[in-house]
Amino acid sequence: MENPEGRIDRWLERRARLLARRTSRRSFLTRLAAVVLGSAAFPLLPVARAGGTAARAPAPDEAGLKGEAADPTSCQYWRHCAIDGLLCSCCGGTQNACPPGTEMSRVTWIGTCRHPADGKDYIISYNDCCGKSFCGRCQCNRNEGEKPVYVTPKNNDIVWCFGTKSTAYNCSTAIVLGIATEG
Amino acid sequence: MRAVSAACLAAASLALSARSEASSPAVDYAVHCQGCHLRDGSETPGRVPALAGSLARFARVPGGRAYLVRVPGVAQSPLDDAALAALLNWVLLRFDPGGVPADFSPYSAEEVGRLRRLPLSDVAGARRRLMDEVSPAPRP
Repeated sequence: MENPEGRIDRWLERRARLLARRTSRRSFLTRLAAVVLGSAAFPLLPVARAGGTAARAPAPDEAGLKGEAADPTSCQYWRHCAIDGLLCSCCGGTQNACPPGTEMSRVTWIGTCRHPADGKDYIISYNDCCGKSFCGRCQCNRNEGEKPVYVTPKNNDIVWCFGTKSTAYNCSTAIVLGIATEG
Repeated sequence: MRAVSAACLAAASLALSARSEASSPAVDYAVHCQGCHLRDGSETPGRVPALAGSLARFARVPGGRAYLVRVPGVAQSPLDDAALAALLNWVLLRFDPGGVPADFSPYSAEEVGRLRRLPLSDVAGARRRLMDEVSPAPRP
């Protein structure tokens, strides 16, 4: 009678040869790369962001900042110099993304804030997140450079939730669009 | 809604009022116009009209060239005449290059300075009349 171990050996050998015939190291590498790259791209996927990311300049390095200037949940966070609203960072979102269940308004208040470390001015877009009622946390009203309502081009007493499905205001983001100073 | 739209047209927003550094039309557009008109000049239906593929129509009808300077968001912007002229020329060529007439002469600082000081008291009416010129409504 045949040794059962030999049968197992033969079966394993067949399976191994079949596997080797049907696959290659290259295809394994391809799949591994897809998984690795997919994981890297995952954070880019589902949340509402302003107007696509392609043309947006990278945000300046914030690692060197200290204290409230580095804290997205503080009114003194460096990007918040011209904000008038509730911080999405305190409302289930971040300074760059809306909380789940809200929609980012495309039209927006825009300001420029000086980065405390590199001394350059950056264009900041305070896109409102709309579709849920007032978040109610971290209200900030720095509004640097804002003018009274009779100077309409520079007044920020507008709820920017228009063009969105709902005009209910939830909170505001603070997204770096690019650098405002040259040279 | 019209009030919001007009406010938005005017509310190209700005936080840094006294910027001493050199600027460019691209940066001025981002800071003063993009809040409402978006990076690509596309429309927000019912709220903000499109610049892209649309704006230069105004340059082809009588009064349209002046209108683009006199409209409140442009005329009342904090930019000086030279920067505003450069911005207008940039916006036309950037967002509606195919619509700019062949004989179009760029805005000068002098022209912009003169036109922006002529208040447009009935903005919506002026716009409606120009739009009729651009694409005449069918008449019975």
